[in-house]
Amino acid sequence: MTSFVRRYGTLVALLVIIIAFSIASPIAFGTPNNLINITQQMTLLAIVAIGATLVMAVGEFDLSTAAVVSFGGIFVVFLLKAGVPAPLACLAVLAAAGVFGAVSGFIVARFEVLSFITTLAVGTIIGGITFWLSDGATLFGDIPVGFRDLARGKISGIPTLTFWLIGVAVVAWVVLDKVEIGRRLYAIGGNREAARLAGVRIVSNTMVAFIGSAMLSALVGMLLTARIGSANPTGGGGFLLSAYAAVFLGMTAFREGEANVPGTLVGAAIIAVVGNGLTILGVSTFMQDIITGMIILAAVLVRRTGTQSR
Amino acid sequence: MAQQGQSFLSLRGVKKHFGGAKALDGADLLVEAGSVHSLVGENGAGKSTLIKILSGLIEPDAGDILIDGQPVEIAGVQQAEALGFRFIHQELSLVPHFTAVENAFIGRPYPRKGPFIDRRAMRQAIEDTARDIAPDLPLDIPVGQMTTGQKQLVEIIRALIGAPARLVVMDEPTASLSDGEAARLHKAVKRLSDTGVAVIFISHRLDEVMEICDSFTVLRNGCTVGAGRINQIDRAGLVHLMSGREEVLGAAETPPVDSPVVLKVRDLPFGTCGQSVSFDICAGEILGLYGLVGAGRSSLMKLIWGAAPHAGGQIELDGVPLRPGRIGDRISCGAAYVPEDRRNEGLITSRSIADNLAVAHLSQVRARPQMPWTSRRKMAERSATVQSMLSVKMGSPWHGPLTLSGGNQQKLLFGRWFGEPTRLLILDEPSRGVDVGAKAEIHALARQFARDGAAVLMTTSDMDELMALSARVLVMAGGDITAELSGNSLTPARVIDAAFQHQSEISDTDSQTEKETHA
Repeated sequence: MTSFVRRYGTLVALLVIIIAFSIASPIAFGTPNNLINITQQMTLLAIVAIGATLVMAVGEFDLSTAAVVSFGGIFVVFLLKAGVPAPLACLAVLAAAGVFGAVSGFIVARFEVLSFITTLAVGTIIGGITFWLSDGATLFGDIPVGFRDLARGKISGIPTLTFWLIGVAVVAWVVLDKVEIGRRLYAIGGNREAARLAGVRIVSNTMVAFIGSAMLSALVGMLLTARIGSANPTGGGGFLLSAYAAVFLGMTAFREGEANVPGTLVGAAIIAVVGNGLTILGVSTFMQDIITGMIILAAVLVRRTGTQSR
Repeated sequence: MAQQGQSFLSLRGVKKHFGGAKALDGADLLVEAGSVHSLVGENGAGKSTLIKILSGLIEPDAGDILIDGQPVEIAGVQQAEALGFRFIHQELSLVPHFTAVENAFIGRPYPRKGPFIDRRAMRQAIEDTARDIAPDLPLDIPVGQMTTGQKQLVEIIRALIGAPARLVVMDEPTASLSDGEAARLHKAVKRLSDTGVAVIFISHRLDEVMEICDSFTVLRNGCTVGAGRINQIDRAGLVHLMSGREEVLGAAETPPVDSPVVLKVRDLPFGTCGQSVSFDICAGEILGLYGLVGAGRSSLMKLIWGAAPHAGGQIELDGVPLRPGRIGDRISCGAAYVPEDRRNEGLITSRSIADNLAVAHLSQVRARPQMPWTSRRKMAERSATVQSMLSVKMGSPWHGPLTLSGGNQQKLLFGRWFGEPTRLLILDEPSRGVDVGAKAEIHALARQFARDGAAVLMTTSDMDELMALSARVLVMAGGDITAELSGNSLTPARVIDAAFQHQSEISDTDSQTEKETHA
């Protein structure tokens, strides 16, 4: 019984929350339209959180996440305004983010600097670059329709954004759970020294995790821009804490104490559902933050006490 | 030497078991006030257990502890502290950016002026203590900038602050000190004992034991096998008491005479004083590497495994030169490594048993040979193979490795390397912390690897294990190889004698030890 609670407790919590909101607000919340709406709302958060999952798999943090989201949005508009064709602009943004991730990962793994400090510094640098590119202003105009359609509209009734989420989640799940690199990333996260002595290459594998995280953050920055048609140099600000909250919630699900993609999706869903449901019920945004924070604490505490009583 | 002859502390017939293993089996200890008492013995003789009993960390199963003739019970660390017992451990516990004065008062009551800490009184107290023990110790620089020897002195002063100390236990304080610093520490120890404090001094340097101690106790296999005044015994006598083995358990197998050399180590730079080591291991040979804790065995193993870089020197495996610091090179040449510290260096405890078995050779659990696609079925199969070949007792391969016993955990670390032909097997303390049955199985395993043609390099602190597995032994002391023993010259007494040789006295050692000669 306790092992069931530990394994599926977070998933059950998500279902309980959904049922509770459906009862509290049957007309507005429980409708298929609203549920589709929720998946759309959670998409961007979930993609950033999946990036965070990669970094958490190697046992590190990436505090530059929010800065990279903002950077992705600003840089793509900057390039589009400069007349760069959209596909090329997108690739350039991903490549730039990959470089940032590579730098962080290399410093963390090669010189064994705390990832907190490294990514805080790298994130500050990226923030500076972002403001420099945008002159501190919101960028809009000159955004081609084709680019905007990446995150707008629906394909056979399902929002385009949802397809992004499914695609990213499947790829990340395959990377972490199905192919060799995933075993290596988890081995490093589990015990870096043991992994190293067993022949796992620490530097290159850690860099892969950080590069993946940065590219997904930049992707979200671009999707955000495509959706709202403009880019703000602080547009990614809210993503860092909620993405890691989603990962932590997910670590309480499915697999004990390890960041994993299905768990992160559940974590992101909980955050999205709570936000959506509370908004429908007319709860103020600051109250929503308080409640979300308490849910995260409760989930983590349940897990802690669960493992201690073993 | 004040109050001589009065036995301040006495332990009688102390016993302690950990699971099935006897750590202490009737140990006696008599320490006089104002004397420096040496506690000596091989690794695992029971010294640490005895010290832990004195410090209240563990309780003995049987035996008496008397202070001034009165029986006492040491039920906890606080009580040991109240009895006036102070402990200076090998790993120092100082805050690096605090000064000596600030460090000395950690965990002790601070002198106060109203609600504020009285820094002047703090400094005064330390000055008074330091004047007696170590007059030239700088008090106002951060401890992080001090030498190891100075840090030891800070620890001693710290031990004397607060309630009066009656016994100071020092666990290998000079292990990492230069000769000059060691001499300064010796002086401090003498001054300390002159104030009437009893000192228990644990050291592997027998020359310093002979020089600064007044009396001694020798432990072997958890028993006191000798005790007395230091002027009644000589170095050879101590060595004999410590090793004192009559028979050798199990016989090591000698590889065939014409075995090819598998591992060739040439001029590998090692040790603190620019020494280098060279040796060969043949196919089928288990070369033993013996040394006391801190002699540098594990670091040498790590150099050979490529876990740490080295400049100069050559390591060749089957004639292929191995690049420094490249573990991947070794693995692709068929080398395998079982680290000393199972929990921190061996197992990935958050992952499943199957993952732990697959991590070093992930290509073996691919669904298709050309794709880096991991197959859970293959992982389970690999676990099942290892389980039956090594008779590992485990439930599901998807459980964590900590659900297994120590012996079975250790077998997993061997099993990690299964499936590829092993040319070189590096074993660091292969049977530490496992029960007797598992130990025999691990020994059989090591022999099997050798019989299949692998060169095995093993380091162990366990003399019986060494004698049972290795027909040739290199002995290390102070980061240097002090002897190469084989055939008739390979006896426990010779091994111990060489291990206790501090570099400075290599020149005056008897010629009976065959010394490693460097080309």
